[in-house]
Amino acid sequence: MIDSILSLRSYNPVVKVLAPIPAMVVAGLSRDLWTPAALTVIALVMLLAFGRLRGRALLWTLAGPPLMVAVLTLSFGVWIDREKVGGWSGALEAGLATGLRVSAVLTLALIAGLTSEGTDLVRSMITHLRMPYRIGYAGFAAMRFVPRFRHDLEIIRLAHRVRGVSTGRGPVATTKRYSGYVVPLLAGAMRHGDRVSLAMEARGFGAYPARTERRRVPLRARDAVLALWLLLLCLVPTLPGVLG
Amino acid sequence: MSDALLRFTGVSVRHEVYDDAGDVGYGIPRPHEITAELRAGEVVLLLGPSGCGKSTLTLTANGLIPHVIGAKMDGTVTVAGAYTAGTTVPELARDVAMVFQDPDAQIVTASVLDEVCFGPENLLVPFAEVLERAEQALRLVGLWDRRDDDPGILSGGGRQRLAIACALALRTPVLVLDEPTANLDPAGVEEVYRTLRAVAAGRDRAVLLVEHNLDAAIEFVDRVIVLDGDGRVVLDGPARTILTDHVDELLTLGVWLPVATLAALRLRSVGVALDPLPLTPGELAAALDTVPALPPPRDTPRSTARSKAAIAVRGLTIRRGPVTVLDDITLDIGAGEFVAVAGANGAGKTTLAQALAGVTPSRKVTITGPAGFVFQNPEHQFLTNRVADELAYGTTDTARVEDLLTRLDLRELRDVHPFLLSGGQKRRLSVGAALVTRPRVLVLDEPTFGQDRARAAELLDLLDGLHRDGTTIVVVSHDMHLIAEYATRLLVLDGGRVLADRTPAEIYADPALLADTGLRPPPLARAARTLVRHPAWHTVTRLADLPVLEPSR
Repeated sequence: MIDSILSLRSYNPVVKVLAPIPAMVVAGLSRDLWTPAALTVIALVMLLAFGRLRGRALLWTLAGPPLMVAVLTLSFGVWIDREKVGGWSGALEAGLATGLRVSAVLTLALIAGLTSEGTDLVRSMITHLRMPYRIGYAGFAAMRFVPRFRHDLEIIRLAHRVRGVSTGRGPVATTKRYSGYVVPLLAGAMRHGDRVSLAMEARGFGAYPARTERRRVPLRARDAVLALWLLLLCLVPTLPGVLG
Repeated sequence: MSDALLRFTGVSVRHEVYDDAGDVGYGIPRPHEITAELRAGEVVLLLGPSGCGKSTLTLTANGLIPHVIGAKMDGTVTVAGAYTAGTTVPELARDVAMVFQDPDAQIVTASVLDEVCFGPENLLVPFAEVLERAEQALRLVGLWDRRDDDPGILSGGGRQRLAIACALALRTPVLVLDEPTANLDPAGVEEVYRTLRAVAAGRDRAVLLVEHNLDAAIEFVDRVIVLDGDGRVVLDGPARTILTDHVDELLTLGVWLPVATLAALRLRSVGVALDPLPLTPGELAAALDTVPALPPPRDTPRSTARSKAAIAVRGLTIRRGPVTVLDDITLDIGAGEFVAVAGANGAGKTTLAQALAGVTPSRKVTITGPAGFVFQNPEHQFLTNRVADELAYGTTDTARVEDLLTRLDLRELRDVHPFLLSGGQKRRLSVGAALVTRPRVLVLDEPTFGQDRARAAELLDLLDGLHRDGTTIVVVSHDMHLIAEYATRLLVLDGGRVLADRTPAEIYADPALLADTGLRPPPLARAARTLVRHPAWHTVTRLADLPVLEPSR
């Protein structure tokens, strides 16, 4: 099922990350309402029809863009100098355009974000973009670091509170408190990093310029089609003229 | 000999040390001029007092020393005939696999299967063979059914078995294990050694092991190499011969012995000679049953007086998100008790300990007098740049600070940065910091976690002294031997509830309870309960219960 040509998940993550970029630039630089609106709708349709989204991701994809457009339209409408844009309607229009531009860029980015695994992206970058595998795997190791870091910070805060470190409010007290966390946090992180790197080398990491990649992330004809389609989205601004 | 898989020839290692000006120098050699050979099928245990260079020696086996770690190595190490000094660490991974102490620091990928494949993939093993090796290794350690799981959700023992599988998948002739069970609970230790026994049964590789928990390791080991405090080889031979024939030398060196052997030595002093010396609980029980009559075990009265409550807990419930961490806990801890809290990982031990010390304040917990709390990792507690300042933090009582510096043997180190202390010194300092306010209650979370036996014993003597002076002690611990020897009361937690609250001896006599909660009786209790001829001894759980000529202490 996951390999179905109708599922965005079966496409190469590098293509999904890189190919929408021109369209994102076009959306970001557009000055009209049509371009970002059309791009948002196209990206949303792609996600909803072929993204195989579930649960929270589905909910946010459905509710997120309209909500964001609404919030940005109103806030910009209030914030913008109404005299310069010709009163309320002008201000709201400028807000709407901004909201649509942001949501177009975001939904285009979500095509990759919601349908690929970070690890597959790294693997594909190693295979297809010739990124050195050392950099990719350093990234993997760093990702495993985050929860440990957070857990350590929690315990250090508790430990310092027990020792009677001031619990004062305000930026000065907070900065002082946090500066006390830095040494134990870094000491722990460096020691952990050291151990992880020793363990990796001990398992042959870096023995050869290449590794066996067990999970091949393929680059197929369908990826070329997807890339072409995403590049063609740059032509969206010219569509109203063509259609009359 | 040409069939030596791992050979050390005159190996000395001097670690880099930095003087006050920041210049690099080299310290004293630990280990010192090691010459030894390991052949296929051998399981060799390295023994020696703390700081003699056992772990350092293991790091030379795959070239981490001198290639990666800043140290100067004299002498040569050869693996399968090749000099480690002339090859790189990753290339040596074809011949030597390592398992380290901390299972968390060995995990790189996001699934069990990927993790085992990582090593062979690095060595450019063909795709199909990577999978075949991974499957074989995972089946051997019993994790094949969990191949798609995130390693993070495995238990401590599970993660260490995964690390062993990763080492096995490299299919090396030499396997090196550096304290593989130091971070594990009793059930985890048992799992790991069950796995290692299966690995060694193949008899096709050489295994080098550093382990302080001799009770767990002894049945797995063929040969013992003993280093002295200067890091030199003093004994090298068959495990049983070394441990039984040279037992007095080992005791003098400060090497930890199996509890069964210690018990036999103690009995020897009251005229019960067990020959040969037993090494395992089973051997101890068998030897005792050949003795027609044994003196009665000592009946040591324990201070279980609970007249004054030091801590009173009434209906304490703590929820974290959807999880109930503590479920309606009601208990009293009397002044002067030594209470141990045990239970499997995730039972709520740390949360309860923090509540008992008032670290996480609750209306349901009443603490009489000041309380101190010692965290699992001492470094998390340190606030200042000097040892003396660390003790003086938040107090004006300079006499107390001076007194503690002497008592904790930290006086010469008073100007040192706390992070530069050794592991045992850091632990003493963190306990000292909690003692400055003269707490009536001292709560410690896993104080012996990741520490070797010598450091653990040092800490426990300190706690025992405080306890005798009247301080109420609460310890969270996996170490059943520690609990048996020192605690007057044992709380067993399971799923946030107190499942049992009795003396350690009573709990160790309840096999069903132990099995349900992942606990294991200490070695001595295991031996005593199986005695056929001496029913009076069934209640013996600690060395202090054994008969002696003179009342000790």
